[in-house]
Amino acid sequence: MQVAGIKKEWVGLEFDTAEFEVTEADIVSFSRAVGETDPRFLDPAHPDFQAPPTFSSRFVSRRVLPEAFPHIGSRGFDAGKAVTCHGPVRAGHRLVAHSKIADVYEKTGRSGPMVFIVHRMDFTNQDGELLSTVDWRMVRQPDLK
Amino acid sequence: MILDLHNHSIKSDDGRARVENYCQWINKRELAIDGFVLTEHRQFDDASDYRKLEDESGLLILKGSEVETDYGHVLLFGVNEDLQHAFDFAAIDLELARVVRESERCGAVAVPCHPGRPNVGLCAHYEARGPVPGVSIVETFNGGSRQGEDEWALAVADQYGYRGVGGSDAHIVSHIGRSATRFEATIRNVDDLVGALRQGDFEALQCK
Amino acid sequence: MARLSFEEIELGDELPEVKPDVSMPRVREFCKAAGHYFSRFIDHEKAREQGLASAIVPGIMSQALLAAIIHGWGQDVTVESIDTVFRAPIPVDSHPLFRGVVTDVQPDARIAELDLTIVNDAGETRVMGTARVRFP
Repeated sequence: MQVAGIKKEWVGLEFDTAEFEVTEADIVSFSRAVGETDPRFLDPAHPDFQAPPTFSSRFVSRRVLPEAFPHIGSRGFDAGKAVTCHGPVRAGHRLVAHSKIADVYEKTGRSGPMVFIVHRMDFTNQDGELLSTVDWRMVRQPDLK
Repeated sequence: MILDLHNHSIKSDDGRARVENYCQWINKRELAIDGFVLTEHRQFDDASDYRKLEDESGLLILKGSEVETDYGHVLLFGVNEDLQHAFDFAAIDLELARVVRESERCGAVAVPCHPGRPNVGLCAHYEARGPVPGVSIVETFNGGSRQGEDEWALAVADQYGYRGVGGSDAHIVSHIGRSATRFEATIRNVDDLVGALRQGDFEALQCK
Repeated sequence: MARLSFEEIELGDELPEVKPDVSMPRVREFCKAAGHYFSRFIDHEKAREQGLASAIVPGIMSQALLAAIIHGWGQDVTVESIDTVFRAPIPVDSHPLFRGVVTDVQPDARIAELDLTIVNDAGETRVMGTARVRFP
């Protein structure tokens, strides 16, 4: 597995864009489901009503990986997410998510050899303001022989 | 002297702790350790210089590495230029025998860590393939161990006559100091640490 | 419990420990709300068919639960960033313990940095992470 080669070829390449509408109902149902008690996230009448900080992590782009990305294995799992909030996501925003591969590296762990692929989504609103960056660390593992 | 021998900073891919925050935490919580070793994954952090932080915090901050072998992960103490040229620290399929041999040749010490991890740790590999010559110390207390893992490490260490060390395997600030190693000798630098490990006058501590 | 102001927090403070609801009905509610309706989250049997021990709590749900706990701790805080590493799955219908602790306080920026962990009944870390939180 030539991870260094994959990294060199694919990191930094934007491979997908997708659009998502943010509604009051979506914000409230998400907030309720995760036990938010702060009215900023529950009450549409609140002057600072907004989505909770990890709300954008629910959005999935049309492609998980770029077309023609090398097949690494059929097994895998979600290894974690990092969300950076640049500004509040509000009801009525039309978010555009730009996807790229931010990093590729390999390591071994409790489940054996793993290739980590970091899928980064930058979310801007209709005014072009960057509101959220979500790094999704996905693991691909070689198929068992 | 008590040192936490196994920790990661933001230099490791899954590390989330800044070294200055480790120091701040140790002092604020008055943890019973005199210092710690940064054992970054698959690299040796040549660039960072923690001497000023040592002076400010009163703690000993040493650097090592954690590399990945066919018998599980291994901590390296006493990493020098010779050892860095002996094999690729970034590889995930190093041969433990080679790592141990080259460490010895270059004046460093190789310590298999979290050996009790099922399927992937040293103990599991020993069960399947037998021991590797040259191993003399293993990490018997790892701060991230799950039930039974340290116990297995202790049993294998006992079986093969290995000495045991302790380390937190901290990746976040609040996890430092969970396990450590008590040395009889005073350790002021990496050479002292290597000497103390070779001498064998130490014991692993469980602090959590 | 009253939420804290910046002046009331200091390094080493622990957030209240919480055992959020990760029962199947709540997980299904979350999956519906998030559009994450995958069988490994909402059906124990189907999860087992996929090689899991049981249905698992979605990673984005555990992360969002941690953010909600932070909002319940700090008065009108803004989570500037949150980063969670998934070390092991959290089974649906289990009773994981969510914890947080203040690891840095930056008075000029009114920022607190937190370590976050989710542990199982045996005290084993399933999720660990950090958050950077700004107080008004």
